[in-house]
Amino acid sequence: MFRNVVSRLVTETFRFDRHVKRAAFRPSLTSARVPVRSLTDAKDEVQPPFDSSLLDFLVCPLSKKPLRYDANTNELINEELGIAYPIIDGIPNMIPQEARLLQKDTDASNPPAQ
Amino acid sequence: MAASMRLLVRQLARLSHRKVTSTVSGVSCRSACCWRTSSGRCFSDAAEDRSTHFGFETVSEAEKAKRVYKVFENVAQKYDVMNDAMSLGIHRLWKDVLLHVMHPQPGARLLDVAGGTGDIAVRFLDYVRYQLERQKRRDTPSGQGSSWQDISDDRRRESSAVVCDINKEMLKMGKQKADRMGVVSGLSWVVGDAEELPFDDDQFDIYTIAFGIRNVTRMDQALQEALRVLKPGGRFMCLEFSKVTNPVLARLYDAYSFQVIPVLGEVIAGDWKSYQYLVESIRKFPNQQEFKGMMEDAGFYCVQHHDLTGGVVALHSGFKL
Repeated sequence: MFRNVVSRLVTETFRFDRHVKRAAFRPSLTSARVPVRSLTDAKDEVQPPFDSSLLDFLVCPLSKKPLRYDANTNELINEELGIAYPIIDGIPNMIPQEARLLQKDTDASNPPAQ
Repeated sequence: MAASMRLLVRQLARLSHRKVTSTVSGVSCRSACCWRTSSGRCFSDAAEDRSTHFGFETVSEAEKAKRVYKVFENVAQKYDVMNDAMSLGIHRLWKDVLLHVMHPQPGARLLDVAGGTGDIAVRFLDYVRYQLERQKRRDTPSGQGSSWQDISDDRRRESSAVVCDINKEMLKMGKQKADRMGVVSGLSWVVGDAEELPFDDDQFDIYTIAFGIRNVTRMDQALQEALRVLKPGGRFMCLEFSKVTNPVLARLYDAYSFQVIPVLGEVIAGDWKSYQYLVESIRKFPNQQEFKGMMEDAGFYCVQHHDLTGGVVALHSGFKL
């Protein structure tokens, strides 16, 4: 019951837009003593920043061509092959099998070539 | 001899775009996976036809990579503790010797492959920083401010170390450890495959692989990648468990390896099998001379090896010229 009250409070006081990143809700919910799990399952950790000095010598393992850092998706993009390597916890994952194909625009990891 | 012949055959197989059938490479072991058409063979599945060893077992190459990944994923949490327990702390001395033989100068760039928890990279950074401080203290004995020359040198000579490992868990542990120790600047972490390094050519002064190369599926490929990413004049250094020459020590070492280490693995890390794999993989690794031959085949010059602890560990070193 208390959870319903809190959730109604949050939805009435803030415009709940599903496309907003969940992390943004963190500061607004700190006043509630009960974590509102029904709304968000965001993690507390902030992703450490990616060190772009790595881009001086980091290349795509398949084509050995330079990569572009995309800050929005936190990925390293190889435009030529159309693949994106994820960066997790500030550590770039340069295994080809873990890269994402850009053309298909899916989140599932597909091996572009093996 | 057999090892280098197999190496030659594999290189030929690769050159002819992998159209060579598996009989040439002398492989009979095939995984249960389905056959792919010959057009699809260009890239991958030759790995499923070729067999290699996983400890004393024979498995396909694709299988080995997966299983090795699993082993290190399981042991990552207790990796450092187990290293201390199994080697009675001597592994620290081996790594210190590697650094002393390496004798890096300030401004050097290190690539530590299969670096896992970052032991070598952290030691490297400490070593060059100590050298730099010693140099500074020597140059300014009266305690005056640094000269213009020193200031300009400092900006150029920023050493850096990159730790590359195929296993995310090991890197995570390493990053946490380094953060706790306060070693952050100059240290980078990258998830990558030693056989397909995500680095540009001619980038690093020193390439190290400590206790990692025996876990790589295609060692010849890893050696070639090492040659590629090193600058001309760069040094390749490999620490690995090797053949004990003294027969008495060999007997004791075998007994210790097969009786004590898996038990320690079970007690401390709760994982008998991973440590069984570890001691078996040590036995399957080529001996000092064979590995020297592999390095020379890959194109390294001035290949030398030093035995440590009676041959329990060998330090191989070669240059890209």
